[in-house]
Amino acid sequence: MSSSNDIDLNAYVDGELTPEERLEVLDALQHDSELAREACELNNLKSQLQLAYANPPGLSAGNIARRGPSLLTIAASIVMLAVGLLGGWLVGNEQAPKDRLVLLDPDGRGQAPATAESQETRIVFHLTTPDQFTAAELLDDVEQMLDTYKEEGKPLRVEIVSNGEGLDFLRESMSMFKDRIHEMSQRYANLTFVACKNTIDRVEVQHGVDVKIVPDAEIINSGVDYVVKRQQEGWIYIRV
Amino acid sequence: MQERPSKSLFEKFGRNRRLRNEICAQRERLYRLAWSWCHNQHQAEDLVQETMARALAKVDSLREEARLAIWLTRIMANLFRDQFRKQKEETGQDFEPVTEETPEEVTDRSMLVQRTRDAIDTLNDDHRQIITLVDLSGFSYADTAQILDVPVGTVMSRLSRARKRLREQLEKAHTAPSPVVVPLRKPS
Repeated sequence: MSSSNDIDLNAYVDGELTPEERLEVLDALQHDSELAREACELNNLKSQLQLAYANPPGLSAGNIARRGPSLLTIAASIVMLAVGLLGGWLVGNEQAPKDRLVLLDPDGRGQAPATAESQETRIVFHLTTPDQFTAAELLDDVEQMLDTYKEEGKPLRVEIVSNGEGLDFLRESMSMFKDRIHEMSQRYANLTFVACKNTIDRVEVQHGVDVKIVPDAEIINSGVDYVVKRQQEGWIYIRV
Repeated sequence: MQERPSKSLFEKFGRNRRLRNEICAQRERLYRLAWSWCHNQHQAEDLVQETMARALAKVDSLREEARLAIWLTRIMANLFRDQFRKQKEETGQDFEPVTEETPEEVTDRSMLVQRTRDAIDTLNDDHRQIITLVDLSGFSYADTAQILDVPVGTVMSRLSRARKRLREQLEKAHTAPSPVVVPLRKPS
């Protein structure tokens, strides 16, 4: 069979022919048993290949999930972030329910409107998970928020505080987002990345490694103290 | 009192959040395809992981949501190509797939499945990719052309050659004597 016929026959079994072309091939199949056998074998080949890879190693054992976050984790992160963002937006609205925010400060001192003084919206994101999908999502959301506020001419300040397992986000050797963090730091003067020194010290002692933080981040003594202080100052607090 | 965010802001966040969910939902399909290219679990996992990380990082650049699967697969195909290119430059050798399954696992699985995987393994990267994109993932010729960044005519001719080569390999395997497999015994 010629190369051209081969290609046509492949296109036929793949459903890539026009109705007219398809009729032509069907006609040829009826008159050429060799061609009909070829078409049948090509169809079998497709089925055989689908069977061969229906269940590759690592798929059924849930190993994909092991190396990344489960869909449930992702969904939970998304919901948490969504609730946090919504709570953040609504906190300036006097009718918003107080329980929409995740509050570190049980006395409610952080519930003062974030825009009390200068109409500047101030938000502190507290990243405590090593989940890179959540971190990617956070950067997307923050970027959009910064752009939107800028477009609308509204003042905004954002801080992303990483501590605990969330410190990986700002570690030189672990972060997948070094370039993006640098690029965003350069682009947005009103965005600050903050790393927790307590966590750095703990990781260095526990794992015997020298922890280096990306140069675009600031280092503070305690991430937890810092976000509590920010809440007391009236910042919107969103735990990620 | 602070103004409520505009509707467009909610729409932007909503779109990205929905897309991110859809990207995560594609994980299994991507892994199946990645494994068919690598025949190595860890490499396939890394490939999928990297693909999804990149996709999530630049979800804004996706213009047509209906083409999410093509967009994702194109990212993965580019990563696969670059990884291989880098590996060849560094070592001067092609990637060698690693068999990670035990003899018992291989025996348990259908010989037909194993023979097909072995035959696919003998194909070059271009042939392996094109045949799995069309037959395994079910992409059209036009979509496959976009994923691999080649003309549709190239897809058609390459696919035809790939299938021909695969059939030859399967016939060769079929006529070869079957290996004798001695099942491992459990200690009594």
